[in-house]
Amino acid sequence: MAGRLSRRRIATYITDGLVGGTHKATLLEQLAAYLIETRRTNELGLIVRDIEYQLAEKGHLSATITSAYDLTAETKKAIESFVKDKTKATNVSLTTMIDPSVLGGVKISLPGREINQTVAHQLTVLKTRFKKV
Amino acid sequence: MSELSITDLSKDLRSAIQNLESNKNLDEVGVVVRVGDGVVWIHGLRNAGYNEVVNIETADGIVEAFALNLMEDEIGAVLLGDDSAVKAGQSVRLKGTVLEVPVGPELLGRVVNPLGKAIDGGPAIVTKQNGLVEREAIGVMGRKSVHEPLMTGIMSIDAMFPIGRGQRELIIGDRQTGKTALAIDTMINQAKQNTGVVNVYVAIGQKFSKIARLVDRLKQEGVMEQTIIVATSPSDPASLLYLAPYAGTAMGEYFRDNAQHALMIYDDLTKHAVAYRQMSLLLRRPPGREAYPGDVFYLHSRLLERSAKLSDDLGAGSLTALPIIETQAGDISAYIPTNVISITDGQIFLETDLFHQGIRPAISAGLSVSRVGGAAQTSAVKSVSGNLKLGLSQFRELASFAQFGSDLDEATKNQIDRGQRLTELLKQPQYQPSAVWEQVVSIAAVTNGYFDTVPAAKIKDAQAALITKLGSAHKKDMTELDKGGKPTPEMIKLIETVARTAAKGFEG
Repeated sequence: MAGRLSRRRIATYITDGLVGGTHKATLLEQLAAYLIETRRTNELGLIVRDIEYQLAEKGHLSATITSAYDLTAETKKAIESFVKDKTKATNVSLTTMIDPSVLGGVKISLPGREINQTVAHQLTVLKTRFKKV
Repeated sequence: MSELSITDLSKDLRSAIQNLESNKNLDEVGVVVRVGDGVVWIHGLRNAGYNEVVNIETADGIVEAFALNLMEDEIGAVLLGDDSAVKAGQSVRLKGTVLEVPVGPELLGRVVNPLGKAIDGGPAIVTKQNGLVEREAIGVMGRKSVHEPLMTGIMSIDAMFPIGRGQRELIIGDRQTGKTALAIDTMINQAKQNTGVVNVYVAIGQKFSKIARLVDRLKQEGVMEQTIIVATSPSDPASLLYLAPYAGTAMGEYFRDNAQHALMIYDDLTKHAVAYRQMSLLLRRPPGREAYPGDVFYLHSRLLERSAKLSDDLGAGSLTALPIIETQAGDISAYIPTNVISITDGQIFLETDLFHQGIRPAISAGLSVSRVGGAAQTSAVKSVSGNLKLGLSQFRELASFAQFGSDLDEATKNQIDRGQRLTELLKQPQYQPSAVWEQVVSIAAVTNGYFDTVPAAKIKDAQAALITKLGSAHKKDMTELDKGGKPTPEMIKLIETVARTAAKGFEG
């Protein structure tokens, strides 16, 4: 019996295929079949994260911006160029999310990395410091 | 080659550094995949190191954990606090440091948890330094052989199983045999004899009520000012129980590395091994003998190897360890006891039978040993306790044989009589450690036969009379003897005269 493939290896296979030009639908079908056969469909979310991580390493970056209010087009543009500058990615796709619970500021989530400048995060840090004292 | 401009080179280098540093706000993050029983599994954080601290952002604030299982797909980390606020999906960041605890003289007189936070109701502890919880032991060249005595004040130990500074001497025995009492008396003796040795008492999974009683007692005896207590209760997470001895050692190492002497007491390593077993099983590491993980030996060897006598170049400080192990029904051949026996430089074995016979401390002369302490024994004590251990072991064997009531020859009877006197003499109440001179005169009085006319039941009275007389009438001589030098023939003569006089008052 073949050994259990790690999520990282599965992600590497898919990423290499996507970057190498293999037909996307074929790759996804293969992945879906494998996950069903090995009863690992509940790991899908984590595999997607691994794929995102590996794509980012190859210059294809997907970033999520979370803020309490809708951001202006100018801000989004500035964030995109900031992300490109920081990560040296050639291809950046931005997704924006409105989450009132962050209270203010912005959180930029990249695969495996993050900049959290939200008010909610600052408050959590402050709360922890007070607790320690 | 074109001419090198140092100014340009410096500018380019600074700019390169700035570019790299500009990424510092971009934290590496992972996500909690699942959590339970104090263990959290994290996806991401590929650059995490072994033992590195991670911060989990919960609604209640940031909860710390440390990474122990670094696997291809996920990280297993052990939480340092309550796991009730940690939920799947929460962000996890690398703290960028391994575990550290505050160290320094500011901790003296305080009760802290394994993270160095005060739990005695006193003010927050602010130290100038932090020490690594996990640290490599000093190498061969940084060490020196154990040669200075660490007086416990317990006559039977100092005479038969002497402990040296930098030694690791195991205290082993069943429950309720006086293991902790031995350790506490040793701590008290450091204050009474003004040795300057700092005590670090690590309570692993001990009831807080017991620790409170201990603190009260140490305060009464005036020892608390030179003592640090690292306390964990049975209700603390296994991670804290696991960390306690390492954190305590980091605190003790501060004194060792600053040319001072410290005494570590780990009470007890059986509970420590159990806490580590719990963590390992929850981290899904393969169980071995008695369900302990394969590296349970390394768990204790890397801890106890940090106790050492440092070379003169490193300041000649020392860290002595008295680990405690609890046995089940006197079985010293169980897994953890044999491990720790093989790691340490000797053991003091306490027997339940002796304890119930009223022989306290209930030290088994046959099963106890000190492998390196002989070189560190005070000359004064050494001069009178030459064959004490052998004599006592032989007496206990003969005594059990004599129970059958058979006729015994004169020599055997004498040996039994003297053994009984010796056994009585070595009984010592708790919290009353003896000074060096008290030990020397007491042992000399019995082993040299000065008390041969005193019945065993009155030995303690005769001993008290001898000590009182010598302490009051010959204080100067006794102060000299207390320094530890070999007693002069005149001194021996003086002890004999006073002992024979004292014995007359208690003849049977």
